[in-house]
Amino acid sequence: MQDELADHNFQVIAVAIDENIEAVRGFMDGITYPVLMDVDHVLTELYAISNVPAVVMIDEDDTIVQPNWNAYATDTFKDYTGIDSGEQLDIIRQWVINDTPMMSVDEAKTAVGDLSAEEEQARLHFRIANHLRGAGDDDGAARNFDRASALAPHDWTIRRAMMPLRGADPFGDEFFALAAEYNEAGRPFHGVAARSTK
Amino acid sequence: MQNDVALLADGPMISAQTLHDDLGWELKPEGLCRDDVCVLVPDRDALEVDGKIDAMAIAALLDRPAVLDQASGIAAIGAQRSVRRRALDDLQAPDFVLPDLDGTPHALSDHRSKKRLLVAFSSW
Repeated sequence: MQDELADHNFQVIAVAIDENIEAVRGFMDGITYPVLMDVDHVLTELYAISNVPAVVMIDEDDTIVQPNWNAYATDTFKDYTGIDSGEQLDIIRQWVINDTPMMSVDEAKTAVGDLSAEEEQARLHFRIANHLRGAGDDDGAARNFDRASALAPHDWTIRRAMMPLRGADPFGDEFFALAAEYNEAGRPFHGVAARSTK
Repeated sequence: MQNDVALLADGPMISAQTLHDDLGWELKPEGLCRDDVCVLVPDRDALEVDGKIDAMAIAALLDRPAVLDQASGIAAIGAQRSVRRRALDDLQAPDFVLPDLDGTPHALSDHRSKKRLLVAFSSW
């Protein structure tokens, strides 16, 4: 996509909401655009992101034309997710080439709900937990991870992101338990669902 | 460009130096200041105790979220809420700077004047 649209004044910027640089590197074979590491989840606070993948389209004058879209928008992950991103890629091409975004301005302005105070605090406790983990304070890390979980129980960038940091498998039992909990809660999400493209 | 996030050891009471270095603000006679901007401090005594400054009160004044982990003494302070609200309500993309896989910093604003596709993803 980056190569195809490079002549259209277009730049892909990938941001890994992740601390595992080796795992991220594994996705990135042959990638020519910047791949950034967001260990502290800076982006999830600034853009109210609660799950990945989340795609944001930003135009030449820093206006968000498509906020937090739960789209893959790249075939980088196709083998991994099994999701064909063809339709999503067409939507991105429409914007890049013809300047016709998916949503109207009014739709975009109401598409993403703000974080609650608890969700803000959860992000901060996550940062402390990650820092303490790096410093070898496992109890301190656990204390802050637990606090973050309690504050934002349905936020994947909190609950699932911490699984590998606590020795749990993010594709294992804990993941399925969280998915069930999330469905039960009505699938709360700060953004636009993958399928609501039209 | 610098991200407005901070982890403060020995929180919540911090030195003027930490306030400046980690949070980017200074207490001056006219208020809490950064560059040309000063925020009025309604109750100075509540903010400064024995030469130390209450980081939680600073965060509240700046409308930045803050938490304190009592046991470790670490305070975490997030970005001004207005930055995210400008993103959600006014569609103004917040700038940020993050390292690439080789550690080289990249800011969103490095690519200004382009259409940018921001893809947040993870290995989890």
